[in-house]
Amino acid sequence: MMLKISNLKKVYPNGLQALNDINLEVKKGEFLVIIGLSGSGKSTLLKCINKLHPVTEGKVIFNDQEISSLKGEEMRMAQSNMGMIFQHFNLIERKSALTNVLTGALHKTSIFKSLLELFSPEQKEEAFKMLDIVGLKDKAYERVDNLSGGQKQRVAIARALMQSPSLLLADEPVASLDPATSHSVMDYLKKVNEELGVTIICNLHFLSLVREYAQRVVALKDGQLIFEGKPEQIDEDWFRKIYGEKAKEVFIK
Amino acid sequence: MKENGKKLKYFLFDSLLWTYAAISLYKIVYQNYLLQVRYLEYHTQDFIFCLITGVVLSLTFSFIPKSSIFRGFSQKSNTPYFKRTYFLLFLFILIITFINGIHFSQISLREFLSASGMNGAKRIFWSLLQPNFDILGESLKAAVETIFMAFMATALAIPFSFILSFFAAKNLTRGSFIFRAVYTGARFALNGTRSIEPLVWAIIFSVWVGIGPFAGMLALCLHSVASLSKLYSEQIENINEGPLDAIRSTGAHPIQVIWFGVVPQIILPFLSFTIYRWDINVRMATVIGLVGGGGIGTMLMQYQGTARWNEVGLLIIIIALIVWAMDTMSSKIREKIK
Repeated sequence: MMLKISNLKKVYPNGLQALNDINLEVKKGEFLVIIGLSGSGKSTLLKCINKLHPVTEGKVIFNDQEISSLKGEEMRMAQSNMGMIFQHFNLIERKSALTNVLTGALHKTSIFKSLLELFSPEQKEEAFKMLDIVGLKDKAYERVDNLSGGQKQRVAIARALMQSPSLLLADEPVASLDPATSHSVMDYLKKVNEELGVTIICNLHFLSLVREYAQRVVALKDGQLIFEGKPEQIDEDWFRKIYGEKAKEVFIK
Repeated sequence: MKENGKKLKYFLFDSLLWTYAAISLYKIVYQNYLLQVRYLEYHTQDFIFCLITGVVLSLTFSFIPKSSIFRGFSQKSNTPYFKRTYFLLFLFILIITFINGIHFSQISLREFLSASGMNGAKRIFWSLLQPNFDILGESLKAAVETIFMAFMATALAIPFSFILSFFAAKNLTRGSFIFRAVYTGARFALNGTRSIEPLVWAIIFSVWVGIGPFAGMLALCLHSVASLSKLYSEQIENINEGPLDAIRSTGAHPIQVIWFGVVPQIILPFLSFTIYRWDINVRMATVIGLVGGGGIGTMLMQYQGTARWNEVGLLIIIIALIVWAMDTMSSKIREKIK
């Protein structure tokens, strides 16, 4: 088992209960998709897994290590084994694609060297390889703010891969992209999952994408896990339960 | 109960207002302007008398509908302003305030238009228009001193402000109680330093290190640290926090998170603020010179003290040119790096 979440609970300082008693297991090499309305806790769940948010109660066990209570260097070590990509890409806009990818290696670089951006030739070579995987080798020296949305997300995937992660968390990776680009980015995630064997947990909005890419689906509603199963099990009834009575499915092709 | 509390509050505020009106009417309008008392004396019993008058007036008006000033302004009404009693009473107090103002700032048209005064002004303006170019070399040297004083003050302020600004930024100091305390302390110290004018700092430092450019530089530097830190930290508070999350999620050290997540986003605004600060410092350096901070300001003060207006004329021209040049340059550069 790669990741085991038990009785996870998250309450924000303002009193909002974002997650309540989440139990979830993720197998190695899996492509798991989390669905649910905005505000259902999908994002919070991912950020609790990689400790961007502290966990209120419960356990997160990653590669046989209990990580929710880790601090300092041990926590950063665990974080470096998980890559993450975001809806708004979260790249350093003023820097080149290459530098952005290299930030994925910060954990393995000494603070002094990284302040001067002295990455080793091996690391640079590695970064080029990662850019090649997402098909952006020729854009390595391009400043990120000159790239398109889809290209930015691919740079973000390369940055995450630079960490040589065993788990990749994707927080609505295609929510700010157009349909065609969405498919291309999802295809790269699929490639990463199948060819590099990286386990993926991905938040998605569109069920059509879920049916195409997910091996397994879980659904969150109001911070609780209400569905777990195969994508084809989500029928009309489940859809209403997850998205509310008045929801209508939108297709993305 | 709540209604009564409000009534009491309006009554007390009105009492203060009417006490003020009574003092002004009695001392300034009556004794000063009508009786033309030469040396106005302020006795305690005058104030007590006015206080009683004020309370009585306020009490009276609180029984007449729509004439309590504070209540009037806190209620909505559709009558035009000039038909509301309380508004007319308010205007009356406003007029009294203007009379007070004229009295206290000693505004006098007689002085302004007197023949001897006009002659003096004419003499000065005339000599200002005939600057004495004999002291050109000396004044240019003083001007260079001023510019470098401002430059050093700005340059030395940069590293201090840069580091301080991170501790004075709310979004970076949310973590723990210690960070919170550091944030509060840094903000307090910066606000305190900034609220003391550089002119005052210059006086303090000219006693400390002696009159001259060094004292002026220290004064400007201290003030620059305070205001640059504030501007920098506000810029840090406005950054997009996304990249911070992303860098943090790679397992980077907090220092690396700041260096890659924060610094690239703030470096250009910082540069722009710094150049602007240098521009401000050159202007301030001139003023600071007047109290012994060195440079062209000190020279100006010396010539002005001995009424050598032709020399002052030249200095004013040089100052104007410097300020204009710095202003143009800094706005051009800031435009470019936006």
